[in-house]
Amino acid sequence: MFFEWLHPVLIATALALAVIGAVRRANLWRAGQPDQVNLIAGLKAMPKRYLHDLHDVVERDKYMSKTHAATGGGFVLSALLIILVHMLDIDSKILAWALLASSALMFVGAIFVFKRRLNPPSRISKGPWMRLPKSLLAFAGSFFILTLPAAGVLPEGFLLQAGNVLLTVVLTALIIWGMGEMFFGMSWGGPMKHAFAGALHLAFHRRQERFGGGRSTGLKPVDLSVVQEFNPGTSEQQVLGVSKPKDFKWNQLLGFDACVQCGRCEAMCPAFAAGQPLNPKKLIQDMVIGLAGGDDSKYAGSPYPGKEVGNAKGGPEQVITEGLVSAETLWSCTTCRACVEECPMMIEHVDAIVDMRRFLTMEKGDTPNKGAEILDNIIATDNPNGYSPASRTNWAADQNLPLMRDVQQAEVLFWVSDGAFDMRSQRILRSFVKLLKAANVDFAVLGDEELDSGDVARRLGDDAAFQNLAKRNLETLSKYKFSKIVTTDPHAYHCLRNEYQDLGSDALNGVDVLHHTTYLNELVKQGKLKLDSFNGGTVTYHDPCYLGRYNGEYEAPRELLRSLGIQVAEMERSGFRSRCCGGGGGAPITDIPGERRIADMRMEDVNSTGAELVAVGCQQCTAMLEGVVEPRPEVKDIAEILAGQLIEEVH
Amino acid sequence: MSGETNSYEIVRRDPRAEWIARNRLHPLHGTISVGEEAEVRGPSGLIRKNPHKVGFIGPNGIKRIDRLKGNAAAAATGRRSGGAAQEVQLPLHKVENPDFSIFVVPDMVGGRLTSQDKDILGQAHKLARSDDGESAVQGVVVAVVFGELKDDSLDTAGVDRLIHLDGEEYQGYCPEQQLTALVHLDATYNPQNWLFPDSVHGGTDLGSRLAARLGERPAVQAWQVDKKTTVCRGASGSTDISRPTPRILLLAEECADPIDETRHEVQPIELGSVPRVISRMQDMGQVSVDPNAIPLAEAEFILSAGNGIHNWDQFHEAAEALGATEGASRVAVDDGFMPRFRQVGATGTWVTARVYIAVGISGAIQHMQGIGQCDKVIAINTDAGCDMVKRAALSAIGDSEEILAELLKLAREHKAGQSEGGDQNAA
Amino acid sequence: MPLNIVSLVSVGRHPQSGRERRAEQDGRAVELGMNLEASQSASMTVLHAGRSVEPVLRNYAGMGLPSLEVLELSEQDDAVPSLAQYLKASDADIVLTGVRAESGESSGMVPYLLAEELGWPLVPRIADIVSINNGVAEILLALPRGQRRSLSVPLPFVASVDNAAPAPRQSAYGPGMRASIDASQVTAVTDSAREQWQEAPAKPRPKRLKVVKAKTAADRFKAATAKPQGKAGKVMKNESAQEQAQEIFNLLLEEKVIK
Repeated sequence: MFFEWLHPVLIATALALAVIGAVRRANLWRAGQPDQVNLIAGLKAMPKRYLHDLHDVVERDKYMSKTHAATGGGFVLSALLIILVHMLDIDSKILAWALLASSALMFVGAIFVFKRRLNPPSRISKGPWMRLPKSLLAFAGSFFILTLPAAGVLPEGFLLQAGNVLLTVVLTALIIWGMGEMFFGMSWGGPMKHAFAGALHLAFHRRQERFGGGRSTGLKPVDLSVVQEFNPGTSEQQVLGVSKPKDFKWNQLLGFDACVQCGRCEAMCPAFAAGQPLNPKKLIQDMVIGLAGGDDSKYAGSPYPGKEVGNAKGGPEQVITEGLVSAETLWSCTTCRACVEECPMMIEHVDAIVDMRRFLTMEKGDTPNKGAEILDNIIATDNPNGYSPASRTNWAADQNLPLMRDVQQAEVLFWVSDGAFDMRSQRILRSFVKLLKAANVDFAVLGDEELDSGDVARRLGDDAAFQNLAKRNLETLSKYKFSKIVTTDPHAYHCLRNEYQDLGSDALNGVDVLHHTTYLNELVKQGKLKLDSFNGGTVTYHDPCYLGRYNGEYEAPRELLRSLGIQVAEMERSGFRSRCCGGGGGAPITDIPGERRIADMRMEDVNSTGAELVAVGCQQCTAMLEGVVEPRPEVKDIAEILAGQLIEEVH
Repeated sequence: MSGETNSYEIVRRDPRAEWIARNRLHPLHGTISVGEEAEVRGPSGLIRKNPHKVGFIGPNGIKRIDRLKGNAAAAATGRRSGGAAQEVQLPLHKVENPDFSIFVVPDMVGGRLTSQDKDILGQAHKLARSDDGESAVQGVVVAVVFGELKDDSLDTAGVDRLIHLDGEEYQGYCPEQQLTALVHLDATYNPQNWLFPDSVHGGTDLGSRLAARLGERPAVQAWQVDKKTTVCRGASGSTDISRPTPRILLLAEECADPIDETRHEVQPIELGSVPRVISRMQDMGQVSVDPNAIPLAEAEFILSAGNGIHNWDQFHEAAEALGATEGASRVAVDDGFMPRFRQVGATGTWVTARVYIAVGISGAIQHMQGIGQCDKVIAINTDAGCDMVKRAALSAIGDSEEILAELLKLAREHKAGQSEGGDQNAA
Repeated sequence: MPLNIVSLVSVGRHPQSGRERRAEQDGRAVELGMNLEASQSASMTVLHAGRSVEPVLRNYAGMGLPSLEVLELSEQDDAVPSLAQYLKASDADIVLTGVRAESGESSGMVPYLLAEELGWPLVPRIADIVSINNGVAEILLALPRGQRRSLSVPLPFVASVDNAAPAPRQSAYGPGMRASIDASQVTAVTDSAREQWQEAPAKPRPKRLKVVKAKTAADRFKAATAKPQGKAGKVMKNESAQEQAQEIFNLLLEEKVIK
C-alpha cells in the first residue's frame, strides 16, 4: 500500500538531503585557512564539553536550560529511534514506546519554547526563529502519532483505514514540515543549523584550552613572513590579518555557524549598550553571510546601533570591510570578552574582531583617530604616549628600587607597566611598592629595560609591533633569574601569562605570573602584612576584564577586601558578568562615538550599590572610572586601599 | 635680646647686635629689629620713645627714618619711575673708520625689532669688537631693513649703520627681490659676516637663500659664536656641532645678550640703485584665517570650555567675538558638545597659546599638563578652590554665563569703537 | 602631460627616544605628493639619498607606495650633488622636501641648494598646494600661529613642507614590507668640510636669567632680595560679573590678543 513505504522514503530522503547539505556546509568552512586541531580527540571530547561547559553557560538561564534539555535531548533520542522504528522498520514495542516517550518529551520542551517565543525579549532574533517552536511541535507531535500504531496503542493499519486518509495526509504534511526543519534545515542553513555546527564547533574549537577552565589567548602571532613570500606575478596575495571571510581559520568559520542568535552577547556588550555601532550577534551573523554569501535582508534581530539592516552584502572572496561590516563596528569593541563569556555556543567574537583589525592596521593603515599616533609612539618609544624611554623609572626616583640589572636575581620581578608614565597610576605603583617593602619581599624591577607589554598594539591590530615588543621583553627577561612576575596591570598580566608563550622563548618557563591582588592575597594569608580594618563606608569592587574573564581571578581581590573587614556591596553585574569600564582593546584610542560613555554606565552600576568607594585592580579601569564627572564615588586600586590600612612597624 | 628693660641695669652697647641690625643681609637681621624697639613702655607705664633707636642705617651708612611705617614701597616705585622719565643718556658708541662690517638682517616683525633681532645685534657687536687686543681693528654693525620701519629704538639696540630698503618692490612677500638686494650689498660692501635670525619670520629663509646663492655654507641654529668657532645645533637640536665660524650665520634665540649700555649712531647708508628682479612667486596676500581653522596646537588665543558651560551658543558667540580659537576639556568632548579634535590636554592636544581662557574647567591633571606651555591662563569658574584657579594669572569666580555675556558685550563695544575710529582715520 | 612630483625623504629622529623614524615633515611631503597624485592624476616618485637598506624607508613605503628610489650614498657623502643630478635628468615639475632634516646637520639647506642648482623658484614652508592650473600652482604658505599666505608659483619649483601641512597617513606594515626599493649607484661626493667638525650630544643651554643692571648697591640689593612676583594669580571673588569681565578684557588687550 502507498502509505507503507511513504514514511520510510520520506525519512530517508530527508536524511539524504541533510547529508548532502552537511557536505556542502562543510565545504564552506573548508574555504577557511587550515588550523591544527585533533579531530578525533575533539569528537571524543565533544559530549563532555556539551554537557559540561556548554550547559554551564545555558544553566545561567534555568528556564531555558530545562527547556533545551527536554527539547534537544528529546530530539536527539527521537531522531535515532525514528531511523530505527520508521525507516528501518524494526518491529519492537520497546523501541516504539521509547520513541513515544522521547517525542513526548520533545513536545513538552517545544511547548516551553513556544511560550518563550510568545513575548520574546528584544535580544532574541525573530524571523525564521519564530517558526522553530511550531516546527518542533509539528515534528514531535506527528511522529508521536505516527508511532502510536507501532506501540500498539492504536491498531496496526489504523492510519491506512479509508476514513483516516485525511488524517494521514495532514500527518504526512506535518512530518514533511517537521523533518524539513529538523533534518534538511539543520544542514541547509535553517535555525537548526546551530545543533549541527554547534556540536562540531565544540569538537573542533579554536581555543581548546577553554574547556575545563583553561586560560589562553585565541590571538596567535601573525606569520609576518607572508609579506616577503608575496609574488607580484601571482594573483594569490597573502595578507596579514583577515581581509575576506576565507582568511579566517576554518574552525572559526564553523564557530560563526554555531550561533543560535539568542542575543545574550548583545545584552552583555558594553559597546552595544553605549549605542556604539557594534552588536556581537549581528557581527557573527554577518560573518555567516560572509562565509555563505548573500546579504543581511533576512536578519531579524537588533541592528548595529545607528545602522540600518539590509545593506550588508558579502561573500567568502569579498573584503569584509567593503560592504559587509563597517570598520567602525570593529573598532567599537573593548575586547572585554563579555560576549564570549556569555555565549552558550562558545563562539569567540573578540578574536575574530582583532583578526579583522589586523588587516585594517597592518594592510590598510587605517586605525582610526589617535590609533596611528599611538602605534607610531609604541614603535618609536616603546610606550603609547611617546615619553622618553629613559624616563620610565622617573616615578621611582625616591623609591630606591632594586634594579634587575644590578641584582641579577630576585624572588619577585615587579612588572611596572606603562603606568610608570601616568601620574595617577604612579600612586598605585607607589602603594604596591610600599606593601612589598612592608612584607620584606625580595623584589626587583627592570627599570628602563622594561618595555610596553604590547597589549595595546596587539588589540589595535598591529601584531608586528606586538611581536617586536614581546620578543625584546622576553630577551630582557631571559637575562635574569626570578620565580615570580607580579604586575599591577591586568593587560600586561594577560600578555605575560598567556600571550608571550607563543613566541618561542623559555624566559618564562617555570615562572609564576601573578596579578598584584593575587600576590598580595598570598602575603596577607601568610601574615606578612599587618593591616588595620577599614571603616570608610560602603565599598564595591569592579572586576577588570583582563583579570576576571581573561584570567579567572575573581576571588583574590575580594578576599583582600574581606581581610580589611570590608563587606563588598556587589554590583548586579560583577564577577564574570562584570561590565567593562570602556578602557580595553584600545577603545579610548579609537574613540568611536556612541550615545553614552561606557564608563558612565559602569559608574551608574556603582552608584546603584550606594558605595562610597570603588575598589579596582587595574590602572586603566581607575583612569576610566575617574574620568566620570564628579560627584561620584572615590576610585582606588586595591593596592592603594591596602597601603592606606598598613600598620607600619616602628623600628 | 631680652624684651624687658630693667632700669637698674647698666646700659651696654652690643656691637655685634648693632652690626647685625645694620646689616640687612645678615641671617639674624630679622630677629633684631631696632625699629620696634623705639617705643617701649617705661617703668612707670608711660610710652617712651628712644630717639636713638628710631630708623635704620641706610646702605650708604647714613641713618634713615622711615616715616611711612613700611608703606613706602608703592610711593618709592612711583618716585623711581618718575625719575626714569628723565632718561639717562647712554654713552654714544661711534665708529668712524670701520675696518670691516657685520651685516645683520633683522626680522622686523610688524616693523619692530623682535627680541631675537636684538640678541643678534648683540652678537654682531661681539663679532665687531676688537677684543683680541693685538690690533685696533674695529667693525661696524650694519642693519639691513626691508619694508616698513616703526621701531625707534634702533640706536639703543646697537645699529651703527642702517640700510633701509622700502621701495614698493619690497612691500608684501618678496624674498627674491630681497635676495637680489642682499647679493648686491654683498658685492658692494663685502661684509665680514652676514647674521640672520634663525626664525620662522623669514630670517631662516632669507639667510638660506643668500647662502645658496653665494655658495657659502651657513651655520644654522648657531648659539655660541665667536670670531673663530661656532657651536650650532644639529640633528633637530640633539647634537652640538663645533665648526669654524662661517660667513653666514643663522642664529638661534638668546645666542647673545642684547646691547643695553650704549647708544649707536644709526647712520643711514644711501644706496645707489639696487637691481630689480621679476618675481616668479606672486604674492596674493595673507589669507584671513578663521580662528577656528587654526590648529589648536598653534593657536595663540584659546577660549576653552568645560563641564561648567551650559549655554553653548553663547560660548561659540563669545569665541567668535573675541577672535579666539575654541578648545574644550575632555568632559565637554565626551558629552558631545565639542568635537574630539578640540580637546586640550595630555590625551588631546598640547597647546602653546599665549592666552588661555578656561571657562568652567576645574583642571584635571591631564588638562593642566596640556596647558603647561601657556603663558597667561584666565580661569572663569564657580569653584575658587579648583586647580585651574590656582594655576591662573587671573580668575573670575562666578557664573560663567553672566561673565561671558559681559565679555561679549565688551568685545562688541570694542569692535564698534574700533571701526568708528577706523572710519574717522579714513576720513 | 601628467605632472611629475618628486618627494625627498630622509631618516627622521624621534625627539624623545632618538630612534630612527619617518621624519615628520618628509612624511608630510609624501602625503602632499600622494594627494596631488590622486587629485591631479600626477605621478610621484619618492626619493632618498642614502643607504638603501635603511629600515626607515619601509615606514615611508607603508603609506602605500609601491616603490622607492634610492641614490646609494654613505653617511659621509653630500646628498645635494647626486640629488641635483638626478632631478636634472628627470622631468620633475614639483620637488617636495621637509623644512629641515631631523638627523645630520639639520641645516635645511637641501631645498635651497637644489633650487639654486636647478634654477627653480623655492617656496619655503608650504602648508598646502591648493590647485595647479595651466602650469601655475596656487600655494598656501604657513606663517607662524596658524596664519597663511597665498602665493602663485609657476612650475617647476622646489617647496619645503611645513608642519602645518596635512599630517601623513598611517604607515602600514604589510605594504611597507612589500614595496620595492630601487637603489641606483651614483658617484658619491664626500662632504669633506664636515669631517673637520666636531659633533657632540647637545649641551643643555642655560636659560637666560633676568640680569638686573643696577647702578647702586641699593638697587642690586633690591634685585637680589625681591620676592619673585606673580606666583599667585589675582582672584576676583566678590566683584560683579561686569567688573570681572572688564578685568579679563583689559588683560586680553594688554596681551594684544584682541586687536
